[in-house]
Amino acid sequence: MPVLQHFCQILYNSGFGTMLRESNNAFSVIESIHVLSITLVFGTIAVLDLRMLGIILRPIAVTRIARGVFPITWTGFAISFATGFLLFWAEAAKSYYNPAFRTKLILLALVGLNPLIFHTTVYRRVNEWEALHIAPWRARAAAIASLTLWSGVIIAGRAIAYF
Amino acid sequence: MPLHAWFMDLANSPLGHVMQTSRWGFAVVEMVHLLGLAILGGSVLVVDLRLLGVILKGESARVLGRDLGRLLIGSLMVMVMSGIAMLSEEAGKCYYSPAFRLKMALLAAAVLFYFTLHRRALLRTERGTPTLWTRIAAIISLALWLGVGVAGRAIGLL
Repeated sequence: MPVLQHFCQILYNSGFGTMLRESNNAFSVIESIHVLSITLVFGTIAVLDLRMLGIILRPIAVTRIARGVFPITWTGFAISFATGFLLFWAEAAKSYYNPAFRTKLILLALVGLNPLIFHTTVYRRVNEWEALHIAPWRARAAAIASLTLWSGVIIAGRAIAYF
Repeated sequence: MPLHAWFMDLANSPLGHVMQTSRWGFAVVEMVHLLGLAILGGSVLVVDLRLLGVILKGESARVLGRDLGRLLIGSLMVMVMSGIAMLSEEAGKCYYSPAFRLKMALLAAAVLFYFTLHRRALLRTERGTPTLWTRIAAIISLALWLGVGVAGRAIGLL
């Protein structure tokens, strides 16, 4: 058995995982918090992306919006990650084989890579373009990639329940 | 008001027929509904946290309210349309669902509040620091929209 699959099976068989899976309400409550936390993560990221594309909030500098929303984004991400991990704990052995779950993890890895590239390249000189109504093309490309990938994460996440 | 008859008409409409019989119809519409939720929630949150004086304190509340208001209206339209499609799949069940009824009541309250007192609070704040009244407006707005989301999630669970 591959290591990852073995790990999933251990989580699935654990007392806590079983308790979550067999609970009447705990799983639903955690799932609801997970779903609603996408407003904190994707909602705030979308505001920044749409600003870079020049669609909204043009009079406000990109960096000011970034500074304003990032604490919310990270709070939301912490909530999503914690609740998401609990959901995975309860269903790990099934998640391992779930194509939507695998797709979601790949998309999450890509969506993490995107700001990494963005911050080490065009964002380093953000003080030169933060006030521009429309950001330079590389920043716009990052914004479009971010919107697309996060949409993909949500779509794949919802699809997990259908497999 | 022949509300029940409207719900049945929706269930028996061509849209209802497609939603009830297609394998992926409901799933796809649900995904669109969730994407709308993310955008709507984000714009509500940013505006109300500005009203509370938590973030973007130096920025014009009017500009934030105007631009994010457009985003809110746009995503609300997407959510209403995808919501009607989802409703057509199980209109009979929703009509009697307490969660659905609560969600519709909260949605009406949230939209009404948004276009009246919330708007006034935004205009009053502009660049100034938030007052007790604008803070209360922000908290009511957050509570109403969160209530819509929680009640909506409950439709599928209860």
